[in-house]
Amino acid sequence: MDAGLLEQMLLGALLGLSVYLPLRCGQLSLATPGFFAIGGTVAALLSTRVPALAGSGSTYPITSVLLEMALAALLTGVLALGLGRVVLQLRGIYLAIATIALVEILRVVTLNLEFTGGALGIFGIPQPFDSAAGYAAFTLALLALICWLCDRLEKTRPGRAMAAIRDDELAAASQGINTADSKLLAFVLSALVAGITGVVAAHFLNSWNAKLGNFDASITTLAFVVFGGSRTWLGPVFGGLLLTALPELLRPVGDLRLIVFGAVILVGPLFFPQGVITPELFKTLKRIMRRPPTPAAQGERP
Amino acid sequence: MEGLLQLLFNGLSVGAVYALFALGYTLVFSVLGVINFAHGAIFTLGAYFTYLLIGGAVGANGLLAGLQLPFALPFWLALPVAGMAAAAVALVVERIAFSPLRDRGSDPLLALITSLGAGVILVNLIQLLVGAESYSIPVGTLGSLPAALSIAGAKVRTVQVILLAIAGLLLAALSIWIDGSRSGKALQAVSEDPVTAQLLGINSGRMIQIAFGISGFLAGVAGGLVGLSVSIAGPYFGIGYGLKGLGVLVLGGLGSVPGAVLGGLIIGLAEACVPAELSGYKDAVSFGFLFLVLLIRPQGLLGRPQPNKV
Amino acid sequence: MKRRLASSLAALISAAAALSACQGSDDQGPVNLSKGVPVGAVLALTGNANVYGQDQKIGIELALAALNGAGGVNGKPLALSIEDGGSAEPSANAAFTLQINRGMLALIGPTLSQQAFSADPIAQRRGVPVVAPSNTATGIPEIGHFISRVSAQSSVIAPLSIAKALQLNPSIRRAAVFYAQDDAYSTAETVIFQQALTAKGLKPVTVQRTQLNDQDFQSQITAALNQKPDLVVLSLQAMDGGNLIRQLRELGYRGAIVVGNGMNTPNIYPICQKYCDGILIAQAYSPELATPANQRFTAAFAAAQARNPKVSPIPPQLTAQAYTAMQVIGEALARLDRSQPLKSLSVSQARRALMDEILGGTYQTPLGEIRFTPEGEVIQKNFFVAQVRMNAGGKSGRFSLLP
Repeated sequence: MDAGLLEQMLLGALLGLSVYLPLRCGQLSLATPGFFAIGGTVAALLSTRVPALAGSGSTYPITSVLLEMALAALLTGVLALGLGRVVLQLRGIYLAIATIALVEILRVVTLNLEFTGGALGIFGIPQPFDSAAGYAAFTLALLALICWLCDRLEKTRPGRAMAAIRDDELAAASQGINTADSKLLAFVLSALVAGITGVVAAHFLNSWNAKLGNFDASITTLAFVVFGGSRTWLGPVFGGLLLTALPELLRPVGDLRLIVFGAVILVGPLFFPQGVITPELFKTLKRIMRRPPTPAAQGERP
Repeated sequence: MEGLLQLLFNGLSVGAVYALFALGYTLVFSVLGVINFAHGAIFTLGAYFTYLLIGGAVGANGLLAGLQLPFALPFWLALPVAGMAAAAVALVVERIAFSPLRDRGSDPLLALITSLGAGVILVNLIQLLVGAESYSIPVGTLGSLPAALSIAGAKVRTVQVILLAIAGLLLAALSIWIDGSRSGKALQAVSEDPVTAQLLGINSGRMIQIAFGISGFLAGVAGGLVGLSVSIAGPYFGIGYGLKGLGVLVLGGLGSVPGAVLGGLIIGLAEACVPAELSGYKDAVSFGFLFLVLLIRPQGLLGRPQPNKV
Repeated sequence: MKRRLASSLAALISAAAALSACQGSDDQGPVNLSKGVPVGAVLALTGNANVYGQDQKIGIELALAALNGAGGVNGKPLALSIEDGGSAEPSANAAFTLQINRGMLALIGPTLSQQAFSADPIAQRRGVPVVAPSNTATGIPEIGHFISRVSAQSSVIAPLSIAKALQLNPSIRRAAVFYAQDDAYSTAETVIFQQALTAKGLKPVTVQRTQLNDQDFQSQITAALNQKPDLVVLSLQAMDGGNLIRQLRELGYRGAIVVGNGMNTPNIYPICQKYCDGILIAQAYSPELATPANQRFTAAFAAAQARNPKVSPIPPQLTAQAYTAMQVIGEALARLDRSQPLKSLSVSQARRALMDEILGGTYQTPLGEIRFTPEGEVIQKNFFVAQVRMNAGGKSGRFSLLP
């Protein structure tokens, strides 16, 4: 296991969270790779075409990366706000397919635009870190921050409104929850996470092209969430980490590795229909840990 | 006029392939309300089965290098046999990836992932066994038919016309079966409401198996036919159609059998209408079209509203 | 609940830290020669570029057998490790990193140019020599000192076939161009083709774009045939190109066809079958080159494929180039070991010295004689133009060299 793989796993976890956010609100949106691609393209363009960002040191300044992330977040946020109003009228598989269509349209447009480098893409993206370990530390901090925000969200009113919509949208609406706004919020947050993940990924991958946000990526990231579990933020994080690492960890089995990988994503949902990580799992773990009882249990809110 | 006719032929040529792919895809959706992501892999298998049955030999890079069946069937016979073999595989996929979820009453969303897993296994198994190389069904398999037909100055390849005709035939046969037979009606009942169907004494598990079997047969035949038209581009052959097939499915109306054929032809025509200078945007045009249809009429052109299925 | 979050995050972070702690190899340690001289390859053995990776694997393994059969690196065998780089960037990066951490002295790969732009900078930063067997995009050796290639760019090869087509039929006036706009090779080569055509006064009458995974070209073909071309120029890979040629002929085109380097493989025979006959192709490798190095290679290839009589005994260009990449590394290692014994060097010293040795040498390969520029770009002596001649029945054929 090396830091490069760890970095890819962390990026997988972030993308898992991006798919998880709307799904928590009952919305099967597969637009994540599209916003991921936008974030990556923003980073690739800014860091290779804007000399002012390059700084004076041997490595690319982290402040510039943060600036790219801010711009990517702004762009994906505004885009998601506009698109969300339109697509979130759709439900279930229709929403899923509409978002896949959006991702595909974006891919084709990127491919055709002159300034995104066509099929070859943009290469020679400067490096803010000397080694993969630097990326991993940075991404870990980012992941921790986003996990913390997700955790806060789950505990606060908008988050509980999202859970209510997932369980029963009509009932939620009759209780006075503004379902359209809640769904839109989840969709925009999802886009923001995907966009800033794209920025990190573009630097880490050294190059960027239209292929990186495609249909396959939509389905893979969905697998992260379904496999890991979509009831709590730890589910997609776990699913993203594990399923990104798995094809690499399976290298010793050689030619069979993708067959084994396929078997894992086939068998996983059969044994863990709620995903591997569920709130029930925590309750079980807590019961085991609680003998002897700890005072922490008192602090829990209903 | 000649240009318009040519445009029509071009659209039909591509659209026939989409329609063939989507026929079986939509059948499973109509019954289960889920997308079977292994459909592309079964389509690929159908193409390989057809190739083997007409006497083709496996190339150098797989475990089965050099394998050749001791007999060779004529194409017209090989095609339905390959379809049946593909149907058998589809039944196995149903058994492993779909039926356990149904038995436990799990979220249908999970079937997207289990069927994806089944597809990944099939594709990589094909590569392991017969290698990554492309195979093709020899030119002239159809006998002495001309390579292309010329009608009022417009040209179309004969094999595409055959594809279209077979898609039409399969559509007709399927419609007659669904509307006219007991089991077809039972299938409809299951797709309307599996619980009520069960109460009415319909074995919905059996009906779902029948749907998978037919879907696999259609995928297999479609794979063989498309393999005849273009070469079998290796284990990922059918996967490429998965995305377009999804679009076709939604456009025609999820779960609607005639919708699948109509959707295929419309997307084919829409693509053919993109002028050469903008041909780079061809895929964006068809998906943009799909996107608009979704917003205006989410149930698709011929579909019934099904708001709650995932 | 706060406690749960904190402990989950702590667990996550410590797990991650533990994982990254056990990273890495010691580049300053001695070269591990216990199993032989370590050389790695990263090829697209899965994903939609898998067919190229499979062709390359055969070439590398043949070269390994030849080198080790001739005594390896001054008596020590070469120990080759091949990893699957998939057909996307992240998988290629992971495989590169894995091979570098294993202490490989040099790497062959990755298969696709897009992957090279992503993975090569990793090798460049770690100071590991890379010999690319199949990247033809502009800017690959420019990634850095440690990156070189044996695959010549389209700019030197493609114009030759245009010139040959015009020499064979001077009355050609109207050229139609096809390329796959989502393929890096194809988009780069078509620019060269179009420049070559324009230079001969044959500005293309139509340019048709396709996608790499397209299989039906009826629309593009009928649009092009409306312009009544008498020359069709394709920059496509074997699969889509083969299908396009077949459909082009079936729809009634009778004129000349020139194809790019992507179709220089016998893999096209089963696709376009009898319709392949007569197409002109510019080659970076010709199986008919009559040098001892190439004759050894083609004989070894034919022997290896003999277990399957259904398969063409003629090697594809990708196989020849992969063989060449391995040969270059093997010969450079042998020279290095004679001047500075490998066992006396640290891994990073050996890699640095090996890069200089690779760039400094001249090699008699299946591609003919090759050298490198100081940037790592290949200087190849022989390029060829061949015409496909299909056997009766249209099942197999040969690339017949044109004088």
